[in-house]
Amino acid sequence: MTAAELLPATRAAVELLLLAMADDELVIGWSDSEWTGIAPLLEEDVAMSSLAQDELGHARALYELLAGLVDDDRDADAIAYDRPPEGHFHARLLDHPTGDWAATIARRYLYETADAVRLEALARSAWRPLAELVAKIRREERYHLLHVSTWLQRLASAEGEPRRRLLAALEDLGPDAASVLAPLPNELALEMAGVVDAPSATLDGRWRAAIGPTLERLRLPMPGPLVEALSARSDHSDAFRSLWSEVTSVRSSDPAATW
Amino acid sequence: MTPALEPYEVFRQEKEGDPMRHGGSVMAPDPALALDYARELFGRRQESVRLWIVRRADIAVLEDPDLLQPPLDRSFKKPGGYVMRDKLAAARERAATEQAGE
Amino acid sequence: MTDPRALDPVLPEQERAAFRFNDAALSHDARYDAFVEHVQGGGKVESTDWMPDEYRQSVLRFVEMHANSELMGVLPERDWILRAPTLRRKLALTAKIQDEVGHAQLLYRVAEDLGKPREAMIEDLLAGKTKFHNVFHYPTRTWADVGVIAWLVDAAAIVAQQALRDSSYAPYARTMRKICWEESVHIMHGRDVVVTLATGTPGQRAMLQEALTRWWPPLMQMHGPRSPREKDRDLFWRIKAKTSEELRQEFLSIYVPRVWELGLTLPDPRLGLDPATGEWRYTEPDWDELRTVVTGHGPASQERLGFRRLNWAEQAWVRDGVLGSPPLAA
Repeated sequence: MTAAELLPATRAAVELLLLAMADDELVIGWSDSEWTGIAPLLEEDVAMSSLAQDELGHARALYELLAGLVDDDRDADAIAYDRPPEGHFHARLLDHPTGDWAATIARRYLYETADAVRLEALARSAWRPLAELVAKIRREERYHLLHVSTWLQRLASAEGEPRRRLLAALEDLGPDAASVLAPLPNELALEMAGVVDAPSATLDGRWRAAIGPTLERLRLPMPGPLVEALSARSDHSDAFRSLWSEVTSVRSSDPAATW
Repeated sequence: MTPALEPYEVFRQEKEGDPMRHGGSVMAPDPALALDYARELFGRRQESVRLWIVRRADIAVLEDPDLLQPPLDRSFKKPGGYVMRDKLAAARERAATEQAGE
Repeated sequence: MTDPRALDPVLPEQERAAFRFNDAALSHDARYDAFVEHVQGGGKVESTDWMPDEYRQSVLRFVEMHANSELMGVLPERDWILRAPTLRRKLALTAKIQDEVGHAQLLYRVAEDLGKPREAMIEDLLAGKTKFHNVFHYPTRTWADVGVIAWLVDAAAIVAQQALRDSSYAPYARTMRKICWEESVHIMHGRDVVVTLATGTPGQRAMLQEALTRWWPPLMQMHGPRSPREKDRDLFWRIKAKTSEELRQEFLSIYVPRVWELGLTLPDPRLGLDPATGEWRYTEPDWDELRTVVTGHGPASQERLGFRRLNWAEQAWVRDGVLGSPPLAA
């Protein structure tokens, strides 16, 4: 299935799916890039920068795919930067401020595991351009899962402050964790067209099954069910708005300029 | 009972200041004999000024292409990722025009 | 049974040690003389070799300041990671700063092997006991600073670093090869930002010119005042190979023409190549400013150190509770 072969209803649904995925990667990339230069260990600093760059690279590739579909002369940068904050469509989990190292690891763990389930559900997508990009992204995400799992285990197993901070972060983020796999509007069209292999409720179950054994072994709480599903990707926080105004400040200083 | 032989990787320095480079490996029952054998296999022609041996079992390996050769664009990290020829030509031309106008 | 490896070597002592200074049987003076002869003749020293205390201290001080500079050099540019105006610029800037952190890691490792733990080096830096390069004591003001720093500050640094690939201290020399290779990409990223602004809107050009004018004096001070070759102990030990004036001349000869060809001006009416001597003339840099700045009294010195201290304290729990803990029983 090429872009031309997508039915209008499917196309609209694919656009939203791409926007959701790209915005998720963009915002977690912004957030993780705040560690560059100040992470707890020089070696870890280099690793976190790579993760942030990977996420931004994935966002860019997804926006490029979206730009080809929308076909209104906007490029990946225009889609990424030239929207008001309320036009962003990332999951509420990513609306939290960067926080401390434990919050970063907790957010990365919850997001990466959910993203892995989402990517797996797209691996055999009937829309070929997406299946091809997802195959590449999944190769890069393997490292992300390895890295974050190691850290989750380290924090959870170190008694005292590290574990206490991790639990506090999970308590803070937990209620929003399921927002990554929240149902998208008109996701039925995606399923009917074979773009995705299952509805989001199924993906949520797969995600919980995947993280259950690890959380149990490390005596960590399973995130609760999704609340306020309708605003899972809207009503963004003040933390996001202030991040957004920082991110767009240079670009918006002269919208006509090339940078 | 004869001690079990096991592989040791050999690193050699060809001349002072050079990095230690992998040369090959030897089988030996212990580090002392591994050094002797490293000398025989990688030093007997006076071709090395220093040898290191490491038990192969002590080496952790990473060779996963997903982790080492990730597929998406990384051109911004490489010199070939910056093509300035046209922009530079435009900047030079603009500078020359401005100078002529002064 | 006696370990045969403990038997006395057959070769006479002077000929036995590959380097005589490694021969513990010689007097300190004899070892010292042999060491000086070795490094001055172009010889290399490894971390496991014997070395005079003065050499160890000099290499350590030199590498530690270099490492400190990489670490502190992260901060001025870091302020612009979030504000980078396109996805590619953001990727390039994050990758560049990541490289600087990586350089700090490589250099602190070299320094650690000389006997000072990394933690002690960072604590000395935060306490203001050790120094970092003058250019990282200044604030950044606009996006053009990102281009000027990546292009010209890195260019001035690479001129010095290329000369260090021949350092007598071999672990440092090898590290410099990797660092120079990575820095060459930073310079291209910086020049690309600068050329884009130079061909951009009048506002972008004005922003670029303002940044260049502001950064020029610190750039001219960066390699330090002229000092007589014979008095420089780092040259004596061949830790470095070139004097500050040689480095500055090299920097000027490559980069001033490249700045001028973009129609930009540099704030020094005397600046120019003297055809008679083949040397660049320039107005004497303000060496008082250099001394003031590197001793922690620059416009952003205390803010940057304060930021690092805050981070160091806030993350103590990770270092102590997680990284310093015994290995996990998986």
